[in-house]
Amino acid sequence: MTPDEFTNKFDPDHKIDLDKNTCPNREQRAQGTNIYYGKVSELIKDAKEGKIKCYDRKLQQSSGCVLNFYLTVRVATIRDAAIIYHGPLGCSSPSLGYRELFRAVPTALGRQEDFELNWITTNLQQEDVVYGASEKLKNAIFKAQKRYDPKAIFILTTCTSGVIGEDIEGAVAEVQPEVKAKIVPVHCEGSRSRLVQTGYDAFWHGVLKYLVREPKEKQEDLVNVASMLSYTWQDRMEIKRLLGKVGLRVNFIPEFSKVEELEQLSEAAVTAPLCPTYTDYLSRGLKQEYGVPYFLYPSPMGIKNTDEWLRQIGKYTGKEEEIEELIKEEHKTWVPRMEAVRQELLNFKGNGKQVEVLGALGQGRLLSQLPYFKELGLKSSAALTQDFDNLILEDLENMVEETGDFDILVNTFQAAEQGHITRRRDPDIALTCPFQGGAYKREKSVTRLHALRGDPDPWSLQSGYAGAIAYGEFLIQSLKNESFGKTIKAKTADSYKDWWYEQSDPLYYLDKETSSK
Amino acid sequence: MSTKENENVENIQSSDPLGTDSVEAPKYSCALGGAYGTALGVYGLVPLLHAGLGCGMGQLLGQFYAGGHNAGGPVGGTSTPTTGLVEEHVIFGGEDKLRKLIEASTEVMEGNAFAVISGCIPALIGDDVEAVIREFEDEVPIININAPGFNGNSYEGYELFFEAVIDQILISLPKEKGVVNILGVVPYQHIFWKGELAAIKKILGKIGLKANIIFTEFDGIEKLKELPAAEYTLVLSTWNGHRAAKKLEEKFGVPFITFPSVPTGPKQTSKFLRTVGEKLNVPDNLVEKVIKEEERRTYRFIEYSGDILLIARPHSYFAVVADSNSAINITNFMVNELGYLPDIIELTDNPPEEYRENIIKALTEDLEITSLPEIIFEPDSYEARENLRGRSFLFLFASSLELYSASELGAPDVGVPHITVAFPSYNRVILDNSYAGYGGGLRLIEDFTSHFAGPL
Repeated sequence: MTPDEFTNKFDPDHKIDLDKNTCPNREQRAQGTNIYYGKVSELIKDAKEGKIKCYDRKLQQSSGCVLNFYLTVRVATIRDAAIIYHGPLGCSSPSLGYRELFRAVPTALGRQEDFELNWITTNLQQEDVVYGASEKLKNAIFKAQKRYDPKAIFILTTCTSGVIGEDIEGAVAEVQPEVKAKIVPVHCEGSRSRLVQTGYDAFWHGVLKYLVREPKEKQEDLVNVASMLSYTWQDRMEIKRLLGKVGLRVNFIPEFSKVEELEQLSEAAVTAPLCPTYTDYLSRGLKQEYGVPYFLYPSPMGIKNTDEWLRQIGKYTGKEEEIEELIKEEHKTWVPRMEAVRQELLNFKGNGKQVEVLGALGQGRLLSQLPYFKELGLKSSAALTQDFDNLILEDLENMVEETGDFDILVNTFQAAEQGHITRRRDPDIALTCPFQGGAYKREKSVTRLHALRGDPDPWSLQSGYAGAIAYGEFLIQSLKNESFGKTIKAKTADSYKDWWYEQSDPLYYLDKETSSK
Repeated sequence: MSTKENENVENIQSSDPLGTDSVEAPKYSCALGGAYGTALGVYGLVPLLHAGLGCGMGQLLGQFYAGGHNAGGPVGGTSTPTTGLVEEHVIFGGEDKLRKLIEASTEVMEGNAFAVISGCIPALIGDDVEAVIREFEDEVPIININAPGFNGNSYEGYELFFEAVIDQILISLPKEKGVVNILGVVPYQHIFWKGELAAIKKILGKIGLKANIIFTEFDGIEKLKELPAAEYTLVLSTWNGHRAAKKLEEKFGVPFITFPSVPTGPKQTSKFLRTVGEKLNVPDNLVEKVIKEEERRTYRFIEYSGDILLIARPHSYFAVVADSNSAINITNFMVNELGYLPDIIELTDNPPEEYRENIIKALTEDLEITSLPEIIFEPDSYEARENLRGRSFLFLFASSLELYSASELGAPDVGVPHITVAFPSYNRVILDNSYAGYGGGLRLIEDFTSHFAGPL
């Protein structure tokens, strides 16, 4: 295969078709999968040869859907919008935390004083399923307009609205003239795709299609940063601090943003990633429609990655020199501290061996986190990732050159598989993606990979220079007391029979008979 | 107090009497969420969700975290097997996927029995779940619970769970004297469920009764099977568990007695014990001896709170935004034992119309005051917030959704404390705590006075 063929086949700068109601699924758009186990070098090879498939599991465990992993938990934090979940009650129950998520952030740390967050469920009943629910949806839109007077009304679809064939666009077209708020349908029914990342794309499709405005004027000092749930309030503060030093402003979207901030995405100088796989569709869309440049790698995680992230931003904002000054200045403070953390980790075991970590990461995080682990002096001979698709293929290939080969288990929160690989590999630190089932019951260190909320605590910082050191120190502490996991392992029942751990294949229940493509 | 009752019935309001309209942040999840939570309360039972990929995780976030910030445990949340239905199953059916899931789950997961809980998709596409389950009937006990989300809320899921259990796995047993079933406490929806059931079991034990509380007992499947052996079922709710109790009566001749709620504090608990004792022929002197000992100790302890109660915030107004069970026991305790004044009571659990009059009665008939609070059935969290505006209450007993409403909407400039006592409870982790029984009253005093206590 020639490089050109490779690029065309595996890293297509897909034209995003905003005439369509929604995005393609990640399965089709980028040959995504949520099941794979092997060397990452083999995964790369298989991906290039188009051999990656999305099989079913005979033992599937609940792991989030297009709607209910991310969107229900965070879209309702857009400050002057209203969300309508078009479905039965249970689809939106994860949104019940909406009023508390960011409210706990002290205003002294920059949290806005006054805001209201709003969402409604259409609360579909048996008769709605039989007779259709578009009247109910329209009434909910009117109710949202009247009650909240929002700038935008997002309509998030569900399996039920999908299966009964609700005509969302039809209903929207009918009521939009009577409604002041911009209505934004997001086609995120859980049954549409096996890959939760399809939900990110579906959301951005709605934002690009309905909200982003023709640029009034370019804002040359504005940097778009799509911030997602695994980045904390402190991460935002660190990013703002760094970019603020060179006179740049950050347009954090969509979580806890205002609709105006989504509208102005077209006016920014560049779109920068925190999580590349999360930001991908938005970045490409803004480039295609409004010429906003973007980069997807690296994320500001660890010293080297942060240097490079800043340099990329410098390039697109004409701030190369200021950024080099900033990096030099910051290094004076942080590099010696990083070296101290690194030395402590390198010497921790006292036998010349490195501390081994096993992290469960999103595919976007994987790219930056593994080099950062290396920087910390940690060894990661294996990693778990939620899912994998070709959007990260090139960056993954580049990364492996730096980190060396390792085993990878592609696995969307599959608790039995995560428990299996954690038990059998027995790393010094197991970094849980949240909700990891029983994998935290172990003799050695177990801690979190990320804080997963608008956490205002400096203790939860991970991004930028300050975060590189903070998280390193956090990991050291995790090695100093392992009694929680140890006690729970000794004193509680395991979820699985012994044979599960005795056999060697975490993908024991892969169902070869089924493949979605 | 007939005028009190009349005035009150006229006061019943609701923005959505049927609870079927579109609504902001209702304080429950769907039927699948309720059936799933109920199944997880039965230790040894493994739930299998025949549903979309995200239904289980959705309930982890929106039912279990929301129900006192509880993790999924060994078979809940991401550990719960699911068919994870997507488009091709919608087209070709999900039965084969379910068959494989049952095979694999029963092979690898520790459990004494399994419960297939079916959500919206199988109902919409018409999967024959029963037929698939029948294939396994000689191998492993499996309960079939049909609980599509569009058929009702979490409370409905609780009833569906018990109806399935009663129809599918229970058989007649000889009655065992002194055994009572406890129904009406809905796991996760009643956020203190674990502690409440333990407290009820303990206090009934003191008058010589054996309570079958089912949930949190390590032989949970056996406890389910023992339901027909009870002398009585005690339903600790004005409406939850009623369908299950009626069915147990019809099918197995277990009569039931209904109580307003789980009792909180001495007055309610003593009344509860006397009623139960009378029905179950517990010797009077035993019941009275227990009541005397418990009351003596509890009231002696309440005296310790006398100064902070009387000097810092005596006889002030309070508001409640909670499910009927919690609203009834907290309001009665605050009014009848501590001398506080109810301002507004918002009932958030959307009980069916036919139960509402009884709920109002249970909430108000014992109140030892002359003027009654405003009472509203309000499933909509926006309306519930609006109803709190411009009032005089100095405490708010509510869900964590109202965490910031107390200071924003209550009497200005006095720092109105908010105490999370109802679903959703994200800001309060509840493992074993509850306001049940004699000691429960003491804990309620500790919780709310600690919000304003300080040097006198």
